[in-house]
Amino acid sequence: MISFFIGLLVISGCSENKKKKQEATNWKFSKEIPLGNISPIGIVAQGNFLWLSDVDNNRIVKIDLDGKIIESFDGFQRPMHIAIQEDKIYVPEYTSDTVKIIENGNISTLAQKENTDAIAGIAVDENTVAVADFYNHRIILQQEDKVTILGKEGHNDGELYYPTDVEISNDLIYVADAYNNRVQVFDFSGKYVRMIGWNENIKVATGVKVTDTQVIIADFEGNRVLIYDLNGNLLQIVSGKFNQPTDIEIVSNKMYVVNYNGKSIAVYNK
Amino acid sequence: MKNIFKQTGLLVLILLFSVTSSTEVNAQTNDQEFTYVKVEVKGLACPFCAYGLEKKLKDVDGVTTIKIDVEEGLAYLTVLKSKKPLKETLEKIVIDAGFTPSSIVFSKKPFTLKDEN
Repeated sequence: MISFFIGLLVISGCSENKKKKQEATNWKFSKEIPLGNISPIGIVAQGNFLWLSDVDNNRIVKIDLDGKIIESFDGFQRPMHIAIQEDKIYVPEYTSDTVKIIENGNISTLAQKENTDAIAGIAVDENTVAVADFYNHRIILQQEDKVTILGKEGHNDGELYYPTDVEISNDLIYVADAYNNRVQVFDFSGKYVRMIGWNENIKVATGVKVTDTQVIIADFEGNRVLIYDLNGNLLQIVSGKFNQPTDIEIVSNKMYVVNYNGKSIAVYNK
Repeated sequence: MKNIFKQTGLLVLILLFSVTSSTEVNAQTNDQEFTYVKVEVKGLACPFCAYGLEKKLKDVDGVTTIKIDVEEGLAYLTVLKSKKPLKETLEKIVIDAGFTPSSIVFSKKPFTLKDEN
């Protein structure tokens, strides 16, 4: 009898924890920001502004939260998933295989130590730069003079198939393994750690965003955004407001999801 | 003397004719300097795919312009006629870019693109 009551208490406690977790991850649609003729791929936030890569128009734009263009930098060659660190915007050019840096209105080029074939995404964390090398099916991790290659072409654990985005968080590398329909996690040595999203039948895992507690995946063909904890446990699937989502940014309990085909940003509140 | 004038006149006429013909040939060459190619591709679903194909097709010798229609799965190329690529070459590029070519059509005249209608 005593063990029965203890069991009930444990179940009740678990249920309460689960409820709290679900409440903490309950993203709700707030509004849509129309983007006019911008065809967005990547998004990063800077204060009250958002930066977008406009791939069809070969430019990077800075917009306010109503979608009004504040600044525009033209002449990029198919800019894809961008990154930001200390007010520097890192722009991978898919066509030229270079990474450009926008800083205070000036544009410079990042020194790369390894050749690439179509850079689809970039992540920057202090002196570490990770780029998604799309056609070589790998991630190149550059730490000052050291270069580490993550993954190789394939479909098994630790193998990649057309990676399109990359994130660095807490000494781990999260890769949008687009056409393997999942996110894969590596450590800095290149060792495979875990897979996220396999059970949800993601159609194309185009973008990934990692926070202190969550991993968020943009499912381009599935028109969904999937939210997981850091261990890959599914917390929430958000759908209904997406038209080919490619990337996610999270700032101050707001989630911004860019719609490539919809030419808009869907905003969600926690 | 009369014959000399006749012969010189004939020579001048021949020269004039040949210059005119040559200009016309040049004009025809200018008009027909390009070959237009329409490549239909299966699986051209996302911008990474579309612009990946664009990147690979840029390496084709003699290509002057490339336009990609993601929705229709089409790539339009303008190529110097003197460097008209083989169909097999284009098929290989499409396959190397990760796609399956459906059809490749060559034309002497530009194709009408959807956004030009």
